[in-house]
This record gives sequence, C-alpha cells and structure tokens, in this order.
Amino acid sequence: MSEKTNMKEEKKLKKSVNGRFSYIGIVILLAFFGVVTNFKSLTAGNLLLILQQSYVLLICATGVFFVMSMGSLDFSQGAIIGVASIAVILAGQEHIALGMIAGVAVGAAIGLINGILHARFKIGSFIVTICTMLAFRGLCAFLTTDSPYSAPIYMYMMDADKFAIPIVVIVLLGGFVVSRYTKLGQYVRMIGAGETAARFSGIKIEKIKIISFVAAGVLAGLAATINVIRVGSITASAGNLAETNVMIALVLGGLPVSGGAKTKFSSVILGVFMLSILNNGLVLLQIEPNLQQLIRGLIFLVIVAITTDRKSLAVIK
Amino acid sequence: MGNQVLLEIDNISKAFGITKACKNITFTINKGEIHGLIGENGSGKSTLTSMIYGLQSPDEGRFVFLGKEYKAHNQLEANVAGISAIVQEAGTLSGLTVAQNMFLGKEKEFISNGFLNNKKMNVAADSLLKEYGFETIKGADIVDKYNFETRKFMEIVKATYFKPELVIVDETTTALSQDGREILYEQMDKIRNSGRTVIFISHDLDEVMSKTDRVSVLRDGEYITTVNTKEITADNLKELMVGRKVDNRYYRTDYGTPVSEQVVYSMNHVTTKGLLKDVSLELHKGEILGIGGLSDCGIHEIGRVLFGAERNYEGAVKFSDGKRINSITEAIAEGIAYTSKDRDNESVVLNASIKNNICMMAYDSLKKGIFISPSKCNSFANKFAKKLSVKMQGIEQDVAGLSGGNKQKVVLARWLAINPEILIFDSPTRGIDIKVKADIYNVMDELRKEGKSIIMISEEIMELIGMCDRILILKNGAVNGEFVRNESLQEQDLIKKMI
Repeated sequence: MSEKTNMKEEKKLKKSVNGRFSYIGIVILLAFFGVVTNFKSLTAGNLLLILQQSYVLLICATGVFFVMSMGSLDFSQGAIIGVASIAVILAGQEHIALGMIAGVAVGAAIGLINGILHARFKIGSFIVTICTMLAFRGLCAFLTTDSPYSAPIYMYMMDADKFAIPIVVIVLLGGFVVSRYTKLGQYVRMIGAGETAARFSGIKIEKIKIISFVAAGVLAGLAATINVIRVGSITASAGNLAETNVMIALVLGGLPVSGGAKTKFSSVILGVFMLSILNNGLVLLQIEPNLQQLIRGLIFLVIVAITTDRKSLAVIK
Repeated sequence: MGNQVLLEIDNISKAFGITKACKNITFTINKGEIHGLIGENGSGKSTLTSMIYGLQSPDEGRFVFLGKEYKAHNQLEANVAGISAIVQEAGTLSGLTVAQNMFLGKEKEFISNGFLNNKKMNVAADSLLKEYGFETIKGADIVDKYNFETRKFMEIVKATYFKPELVIVDETTTALSQDGREILYEQMDKIRNSGRTVIFISHDLDEVMSKTDRVSVLRDGEYITTVNTKEITADNLKELMVGRKVDNRYYRTDYGTPVSEQVVYSMNHVTTKGLLKDVSLELHKGEILGIGGLSDCGIHEIGRVLFGAERNYEGAVKFSDGKRINSITEAIAEGIAYTSKDRDNESVVLNASIKNNICMMAYDSLKKGIFISPSKCNSFANKFAKKLSVKMQGIEQDVAGLSGGNKQKVVLARWLAINPEILIFDSPTRGIDIKVKADIYNVMDELRKEGKSIIMISEEIMELIGMCDRILILKNGAVNGEFVRNESLQEQDLIKKMI
C-alpha cells in the first residue's frame, strides 16, 4: 500500500515539476540574472534583445514541437536554416517575398527528405536527421567557401522587429490551434504515446510523420528569412546549433523527450524564453562562450534526468 | 510419494496497479510430486509461478524453499537455488545457437583462457540432447532452424539438465502435439520418480487429472484449495475453478436462431507465408462466427488479414459487393472493428487518457466548424465510458492503470462509438475476470441482435461453444472442421479437430 502512495506522490511531484517548472523557472531565471547583473538584465533594452534573440527559435520550436510529440527528433533544423538562408538571399534580391518563398521551399524539401526516409524507409529519425544535418551543413559550407553571402541592401534597411513579430505571432497562434483543435495535433500525440495502437486505430502513421517533418522544415525555412534580416551575412556557420537549442528549449519548457499524449504547446513559448533568458544572462555575465556551451549542456542533462518519466519512455524514434 | 515440504508459499500478494493478481496465497508444494495448478485465465497462476521463478517479486509474503527463506530476483538466481521453468510462450532467443540458448547465463563454465569456448559448449549440448533422446537437435545450429515444438524440447532439456529440485511447467502442452506431450510427460515422471518436484499448469483438465498427484486451485487471485487428484473428478475441479456449479449462464442462451443467408464479408482461398493455408470463410449478417484452434495455428492471423493489418497474402478478402480493403484505415472506414489479442500494444494507447483512447477515431464527428471541440470530446468520452461501465476515476485517467477487463471495455467503447457493422474480436476475454467477461459477452449478444456481424477468434473453447452461431476450427493453418451451434456440442468435439 505504502509503495502505491509513494508512487502516487512521486507522480504528483513529477507532474507539478513538469507542469509548473517552466513558469517558475522563468521567474527564477529573470530574478537570478537580474540580481547578479545588478539589474542590467531587466532593462527594457535588454528585454527587447531577449525577445529578438527568440524569433528564430520560437518559429523552429513550433515545428519541432510536432516532431517531438511523436517521440521523434529533428537534428537538421540548423542546417535547414543555413541552406535556406542562402536561398533567401539568392532569390530575394528584388523582393523579400521571393526570398521567403525560396527559403520555405528549401525547408519543405529537406523536411520531405527527412519525413520520407524516416516514415517510409523506417529509419530512426535520430539517424535520418543527423545525416541530413551533416549533408546540408556540408552544402552550406561548400556554397560559402569563397565568400559569405551578403543580404541585399534593402534587407539591411528593414526593421527586423516589424517584420518578425507578426510572423512569430501568426506561427505561434497557428501552432497552438493545430496542436489543440485538429486531428493532426491529436494524432502526433497518440503516435508518441503508442505508435502500434495508433496504427491499429486507423491513423495513417506515415502520412502524419511526413507532414510533421515537412512542417518542421517549412518553419525552419521561414525562420531563415528572419535570420537573414537580423544577421545580414551568411557564413558556413549560419544556424549552427539551432537544432540543439530548439530541443533544449522544448525540454526546458516541459516537453517530455519521449513525446506522447501529455505534451503541451505552451512548452514552445516557455522553453524558448527560458533558454533566451539563460543565454542572455550568461553573455551579460561575460562568461566565455565555450563555457556557456558547457553550462547549457549540463542544464539540459539535469532537466531531462529530473523530468523523464522512465516508465513511459520507450526508445526514441 | 513423500510428504516432505519442498516449497511453502506463505501469504503471497501481488498487485498490478489496481488489479490484485494474487491475494494472500498460502499453500505448500511437497517433495516428489507432480503438483497441478489450475484456475481460469486471470486467476493468478502465472503471476504466482513467475514470482517463484524470479521474474517478478511479491508485494507481500514470502517463499520458503527447502526450509530457507527464498527470494530470486531473476531466472538465474532461481536456477542456482534449484528452480527452473518451461514457459508457455517461446523461451528461446532467436539468432543464437541451441547450445548458446541452453547455457544462457551459464557461459562461465565454458570459458577457457578468457575466451568463450563455443566448441566445448556445443559438445556439452549435444551430449545432453542425446541423453534426452533428442539426437536430431544439434547444439551448433541456430535455434530458428527448428520449429516451435522442437524448440520446446530444447527448452525441456535446458530447464531440467541440471537437476533442479523444482520444475515449473507453465501451459506448455497447449503448444505441443500428442507425441510432444508424451515426451514432456515422460520427463515429468522422471523428475518425480527421482524425488524431485513438478508444478504443472494446464487448462486441459483431463491432462491434469491423469498426470498430477495433487492439484491446487486458484480463483480471482485467491487460493481456494488443494486436493488429491485421485479423490476428485474433472467436474469437481471445474466447479472449484469457477466457484459455483458450472452452468452457461453468462453465455447466450438461445439455440436454433436462424442465421441470415446474406454474406457480408468473405475470405477466399487465403494463404499467408508460413501461417494460413488456403483458408476460405464467409461471414453472414447478424451471426457470431467463431474461429478456434491452438495459439499458433493461424487463428489470430485471420483477424489481421480481415482487418487489413496483414496485407501480404494470396487469395481475396472482399465485401459482398466485391469491394476489397488495402489498409487498416480503409477497413475502419468500411465499418470494420478489431480488438487485438495483444491488447496493450495494439488496442489501447497505454500512456494516453481514457478520453484520448475513446475519441481517437471519432474526431471528425467531434468538431465545431473545422476545429475539434474539447467539450464535445469530454461528453462523448463520458457517454461511452459509462455505456460500457468502465471502472475509472475519470476520463482523464491513463488507460495504463486500468485492469485488463477495463482496458478491454475502453477498447469496446471506442469501437461502439463509431458504430461498425463488422466486428472482429480476437481473444476478447483474454486475461479478464469472470464478471467483466460476462459484460463483454452481453455486449456481443446485443450487437448480434442489432444485426451486426461478429467474428470471434478465441483459444477458449468454452466461450466459442457458448457464444457462436458457427465455429470454424483451424489446424496448422487450414480449416479442419466446422460446427453449427447446438446444445450438445462438447469441448472434446472441437479439440479433436484441433490436434
């Protein structure tokens, strides 16, 4: 009997940790970095900076949310941003819309490759997306061998915030609605919770998987445009580590690594802001970039270790 | 037959979630006997023996083995203590050789100079196999080369060669032919005659009557009694298992109900690789068509083919209008429902709520405009969970915590919610207690009366006889007999066609 109540309490704790950790986490992080930076981090200017640093992550995390809900992973996000950014510059010489279309098309194509290799050829998403990451990261480096790509002048002149905020808001709203009020949103969770049973319930697993990976690619391609406008010039390292940042953010936001029925879209927003506050704080504290990386890695590990529900965790697909 | 105590089972309890599989079970096993252990599905036999064998540990209580408190955390520890088991399902690891399987976990004995000496292991295996009279099995061969029955022989050797004091034989005979059974019986007798002990679990009461010295009966996780086999009849045993005079009260009671001539779904000369051989069947409107046979004879494959889950077959599966299905999705769209034998993996999503599970296939009807309405989902899930009287804390509860019977009710709720015309029930009452069983039979009977067509695949002969308008019996993948519902139908008639 006592074992049972223990288990219940443990579950409750886990639930509250998973559920509220992110809200409390944001407050703690803000307060912590506020105090240690002598409130430099809480100035309006810095808060705006945190927001600006979150645009790309918010858009990418929306797509990856669906992938991770299925219990899959997408390591190719950063590489997509890199290649799509080049496409944005090449196609967007005259008008931003053409650049956006090109970026999205590149993202969709890479997402489709991921989805087909994973769903139809039954290769684990982990392996597939690491391979596409390497391949397209390589392409990005190859294309920028001689010189970096520079954004057309008019893009430099654009107000990045005015351009990005509406896009981010639309993407987040769309992501929330799809995740909660559509079959796709429900099905990705059911696939994460039990793929075989989902298949026996008539859910078209292949289709849903491919759609999710394409969506993740499309959104990374969309984020590339904002990336170009913010950064201006694209080098071999464009979008570097975006994939890990997105995954860290989602896990910080309370998304179980194994996906499943209990994923919440709020993880996207909470997680991204937590990560951005953390990154920003580490910079303000003038911690060496390599050391920052170490700290992020450790935090990620700790969060995963605390929040993973080992009983329901199957193998990551 | 000595009366020295070998194993005391002392107040053992074990629960899975809210399901109590064993409740304060206490009895003793003597040295030098073949001790039968019987009970209906879900009575706790396998749970009890798996605890003795170290696969699970009891929540409460203890075992005393050879006068000492005994606790095994895995099969190897059990082996070392002197307990081994031959199980119902395949107990060999595919891809390994016979010898590797036989000495799994005991490789230490064959290490020379720091390396595993496979040759030595093969020689040892061969000589053991010879001792048992299985010269045709070779230690160096990969086990997959041999069929199910031959592998069982190998398991018999594996479980007994080191002369354990206690051997558990868990429903092994269902998988064996008559010859195979004789071989197993012979080994059991040998063990007893050398003063050691066998716990023998079987559903076949005749077998239990003829082979055992004493029999213990479990019912709904409780210990009922232990009797001397000589002093009891098979009917008495049945009564003890069920807890009252055996009647067919929970089955349907009508006989001679005419079945419609109209065929709704049919299978024509279907052959699948290695399982089904030229199987044809016709499902009539409003009938319950039973399909029975041994576990591995292909009965479950029929359900998978009919549901579109197995598409790799020759022959045709079609509706009365000639239409065929190519996927599970299409099957469901055409009004076919299917409950799998593998309930936890294929029927329910364990780590999702009852609500998610019930609504999963009905989202199209739960929309407001183009979006799914959460409030419609709630009332929908509540309505069907109540209709099937699912025992739950609420629809947000995870299915994982429900008992087998309640999981099955969730499965039924989900299917009834989308109103299918053809229902394929594979092992619908597997591991489910009598009360819920009765509920499920009731649901089936209601559906039949509504004119739905039902296929019931089952390894339990009694429920086939009790529920079906017609029964097809499969043997080695081919239809080997057909029976029409009537009061005088006996278990033995069906069994004869199965083996």
